[in-house]
Amino acid sequence: MPELTYREAVRDALSTAMRQDEDVFIMGEDIAEMGGSMGVTAGMLDEFGKERVRNTPISEMALAGAAIGAAMQGMRPVAEIMYEDFMTLAAEQVVNQAAKLRYMSGGQLTVPVVFRTQGGAGWSPGAQHAQQLEAWFVHIPGLKVVFASTPEDVRGLLWSAIYDDNPVVFFEHRTLYPIKGNVPQEIEPIPIGRARVHRRGEDVTVIATGRLVHESLKAAEEAESEGISVEVVDPRTLQPLDEETLVSSVKKTNRAVVAHEAVTRMGFGAEVAAVLQYQAFDWLDAPIERVGAKFSPLPFAPVMEAFVVPHAEDVLAAIKRTVGKT
Amino acid sequence: MATEVILPRLGQGMESGTIVRWLKSEGEPVEKGEPLFELDTDKVTQEVEAETNGVLLKIAVAEGEVPVGQTVAFIGAEGEDVPEVVSEAPAAPAAEEPSNSLLQANEETASASDASGNGRIKASPLARRLARERGIDLARLRGTGPEGRIVAEDVERGEAGAPASVPTSNSLLQAAVPAGEVEQIPLSNVRKTIARRLTEAWQIPVFQLQASADMTRVNALVARLRERDPDVRLTVTDVLTKVCAQALMRHREVNAEFTAEAILLHPSANVGLAVAAPQGLVVPVIRGAERLSLIEIAHVRGDLVGRARENKLRAEDLEGGTFTISNLGMYAVQSFTAVLNPPQAAIVAVGATEDRVVPADGGIAVRPMVTLTGTFDHRAVDGAPAAAFLQTLRESLEDPGLAL
Repeated sequence: MPELTYREAVRDALSTAMRQDEDVFIMGEDIAEMGGSMGVTAGMLDEFGKERVRNTPISEMALAGAAIGAAMQGMRPVAEIMYEDFMTLAAEQVVNQAAKLRYMSGGQLTVPVVFRTQGGAGWSPGAQHAQQLEAWFVHIPGLKVVFASTPEDVRGLLWSAIYDDNPVVFFEHRTLYPIKGNVPQEIEPIPIGRARVHRRGEDVTVIATGRLVHESLKAAEEAESEGISVEVVDPRTLQPLDEETLVSSVKKTNRAVVAHEAVTRMGFGAEVAAVLQYQAFDWLDAPIERVGAKFSPLPFAPVMEAFVVPHAEDVLAAIKRTVGKT
Repeated sequence: MATEVILPRLGQGMESGTIVRWLKSEGEPVEKGEPLFELDTDKVTQEVEAETNGVLLKIAVAEGEVPVGQTVAFIGAEGEDVPEVVSEAPAAPAAEEPSNSLLQANEETASASDASGNGRIKASPLARRLARERGIDLARLRGTGPEGRIVAEDVERGEAGAPASVPTSNSLLQAAVPAGEVEQIPLSNVRKTIARRLTEAWQIPVFQLQASADMTRVNALVARLRERDPDVRLTVTDVLTKVCAQALMRHREVNAEFTAEAILLHPSANVGLAVAAPQGLVVPVIRGAERLSLIEIAHVRGDLVGRARENKLRAEDLEGGTFTISNLGMYAVQSFTAVLNPPQAAIVAVGATEDRVVPADGGIAVRPMVTLTGTFDHRAVDGAPAAAFLQTLRESLEDPGLAL
């Protein structure tokens, strides 16, 4: 099994799809010569040329619209929105056009476009370059939303996103690009809508996304040494949500913690908590705990940034609260 | 209202702890999060923090071993009255007889709910479901979760330690009979009917047959159906009802009634379930159980048993039974013999499903086993057909697909 970084895994999915399929191409700000601000598309210009690795003007609305138009004409474009924060500028096209066209055309049109974007704290990028806005897009019927946390998942899920006939908003986390992990020799598509159980446990289920998957695994390790057995599940796809896996895990452990880097208020975790309390009400032995960022714009100062976003110790504290051991 | 300070559970499985010393004295103000006392458990010594602001009004247990969940102090406003509780109860007896603490819990939870300002008992949804399924009264349990919440572990401990926690036996606790006097309980109509019918039944020549079945697959089936449809609270009794109904249709000589002129074989399996209702034993009937799906049976059974417990059964709910199931499995009875329910020709007594060591493939294995004891009216049914019926029952339980 080869080992790839998360960044290489994204690039591998893009390049492999482009090698075997003329319909797939990428576009975005500074993705060609510069290789993208995060270096994900480095080297792809040389292999695929300017027609298929397209630099765009600095207008997220224009580039998103162009990608949607290409998708409607039968291409499978992957548009890179440099920062998740800039998805706000692309939102008109993503929310009002991409998400609606298949529905409003009575199925005559499909929009097989992927919007790749990244965000996340941990490197002091300030308030406008590290938000976690996945909840905004999970709220829109007509979009699929993916947030992968490992090299294997990001590659297999991006592949499925490219070949999904619906618009997919594909979130990557800035601090995960350098992490390494084994991936299958050949790309194995990971179905959209299937959660991954990273660790089996008996006492409490932690449902985490993105960077918090790794923080939760650390917390689970620590909890284990204190006699608490923790199951860690990554939904991987936020929309559609693999409710079955989450609910059956919580029915087994009777306790749940939901954890993400985005602020807790109206966050993705709130939806998960609602699903769990409804479907597993009679199985819950403790209130569902939520872990997320404090309700604040992200501070620039590293110490304050670290204070605002959650870490393994926050997950651990939540785990302990669920088992009444604080 | 003064807030109780209860002995917290610091880890899974902790039953009690020893108060080493208090870090605050009576009358001293405390803030939420401030250390109140030192607690020694079998694993750690730890400072326990106050969960609320106020004045430490009273220390109920100065030192010594205390079971988890017991009130050890009160925090409230200065000068506030403190509820009368176990303040003088020395810790020692509680520690020596932890299982008896359940009986004391009555008074304590009463004051706990007063303290919370309304009558609602704090219990987790899981604890509520377990208590409902096992017929345990939450009011009699002591909550050891955060803020005194009753959690699943409390219900499980309550069940294990409290054979008296059967709903119908509340009278045992309430009885305030002067020592040495015989108490008279007047006969209710239901009790008179029970006495008359059972006396009649006792004159019928009956025989018993017993068989044990491996419940692995039934348990798996129940778990699976519950997972698929958690709203329908499917139970093993529902599977038993279905399986008995199918077996009765295959062995119609058991689904019978003896009369002076003829033996009547009923066309449908109307399965009665013996239910311990507050007023006494009643046997509501699930009609045509052989034609109902498991889910339908669960619905009918839920409705009947629910109304039986509320004393709201109608006469027609109790009529027309052709066979009866009496299940005492929830009381950890291994096996028992039921008295016939005339004019029916058969009744099956179901014991607890428990892990037993059984021979398997030339070796031994641990399997969830249940023992069924059939009582048959020998005037209507002979031994061999009755045995064949029991065999079908057993095979169907071991392989529920066979009942379909």
